[in-house]
Amino acid sequence: MVEQTRVHYQEELEQLEASALGGLDLVSAALGRTLEAVEQQDVELAQQVIADDDRIDGRYLEVHQSLIALLATQSPVATDLRLISSLLHVLKNIERMGDQCVNVCKLIPLTGNEPPADEEMVRLILTMGRQTKTLISQAKRAFEERNVAMAQDLVRQDDVVDNLNRECFALALAIGDDADKREWAMTMLLGARAIERIGDNAVDIGEQVAFVVTGLFREFEDASHPNE
Amino acid sequence: MAQDESRAGTGRETREAAAERAAIAVRPGEFRQHAGGRREKVFELKGVGVSYSGAAAVKDISLDVHRNDVTALIGPSGCGKSTLLRCLNRMNDLIPGAAVEGHLLYHGEDLYGPNVDPVQVRKLIGMVFQKPNPFPKSIYDNVAFGPRILGRKENLDEAVEEALKGAALWEEVKDRLDSNAFGLSGGQQQRLCIARCIAVQPDTILMDEPCSALDPISTGKIEDLMIELKQQFSIVIVTHNMQQAARVSDRTAFLMVELDADEDNRWGRLVEYDETEKIFTNPSDKRTEDYVSGKVG
Repeated sequence: MVEQTRVHYQEELEQLEASALGGLDLVSAALGRTLEAVEQQDVELAQQVIADDDRIDGRYLEVHQSLIALLATQSPVATDLRLISSLLHVLKNIERMGDQCVNVCKLIPLTGNEPPADEEMVRLILTMGRQTKTLISQAKRAFEERNVAMAQDLVRQDDVVDNLNRECFALALAIGDDADKREWAMTMLLGARAIERIGDNAVDIGEQVAFVVTGLFREFEDASHPNE
Repeated sequence: MAQDESRAGTGRETREAAAERAAIAVRPGEFRQHAGGRREKVFELKGVGVSYSGAAAVKDISLDVHRNDVTALIGPSGCGKSTLLRCLNRMNDLIPGAAVEGHLLYHGEDLYGPNVDPVQVRKLIGMVFQKPNPFPKSIYDNVAFGPRILGRKENLDEAVEEALKGAALWEEVKDRLDSNAFGLSGGQQQRLCIARCIAVQPDTILMDEPCSALDPISTGKIEDLMIELKQQFSIVIVTHNMQQAARVSDRTAFLMVELDADEDNRWGRLVEYDETEKIFTNPSDKRTEDYVSGKVG
């Protein structure tokens, strides 16, 4: 019978992983409220999302510091080392996702109280946001289960978000000559772009899953060499 | 606290403090009830120095050891960390010519006071050595040795079982308690020594390089055990293995060797004492950084 040693260290590492990935739940909740604020033009809710981003940042700082301490005190090697290295990446991704929600929420006051909203464009952005929420939960599950196939599938899911973003762009181009409406559409495009970036961060987390499992890091999709 | 500081400053104690000190015999219950400061201090060292036949081994060590912490002493060979550890349960008394100066308080009382019995001290402050040193007796008799000496006759079996369980050895030896202790592996022997130590219900355990004669798996078991034991005891460990200090300790003291101008005499000096996490991620002193990162030593 092989007895396990260094149980406390293993437990701590497990807790830190859970805590880091728990950040994705915070982001998912923030994105949900961001979408609600977009749909309702709710400036107050948007302000709340901005204020609550401190929680995501706090999680980042707390887990980051603990991971550095673990590196310094426990000399992790092999899978443990890959896991800690990837969690440091993932934390940064999560922190960026939270910031993108803030970016969207900051745009809401700019569109005015009764904006000349285009229903189709709002619908596209909400669909993008919901799809991105799916990506976030899939990224979390893929990491928890060390499931490379599920992680790779994030690319396919992210393509849906990218396509919706392009549709938004096309819609903004065709929005007409009304100056107020154009300004509103340009502002909303920035929001769509921010949501699209959240999806990219989810794919990046997927790449870290593959690194933890295989020990090899490669980008699932290389934007600078799209045809390779 | 203010009183302690003034005492340290003048090197004399007030009459009240002296009376209080004299009134307290070395009994575990009383020691354990002493709570002082934000965190209970087990040891308070103020300007402690040790010399052997007039030659200083360590000089001017001041630090507090907190209850239920694992406190590690690290530093290069000859820095006096073992000497310092041995001060904490008056093991240096056994060495002719050894002298301890400064103030060394144990739960607020002078460990070197006139009314303190060194034998009682060593009962309360147990020690585990580098090389496992079981007695040439059965496993059972090794653990029962201390309680028997202390006059315990009843429930000896329970005491032995409890100590062996506390040392995470029970499952491995419960069916051969009458076998000779020398038949155990090195790692098991060391855990037996820990069981023997905790069987007399100490308050603090001192460990002097407890894993340096053990393989990595046995070392891992002892380290896990330390983390369990600190729930109940306070532990001070001397280790050459910096990573061991990093893994198991809450606070770390780094000592280094100091030389006089002619380089004829050398002694140990405390460089830095802080939370272990701080020592290994962001030490305050450049000398600590160089030592823990393996650049000097």
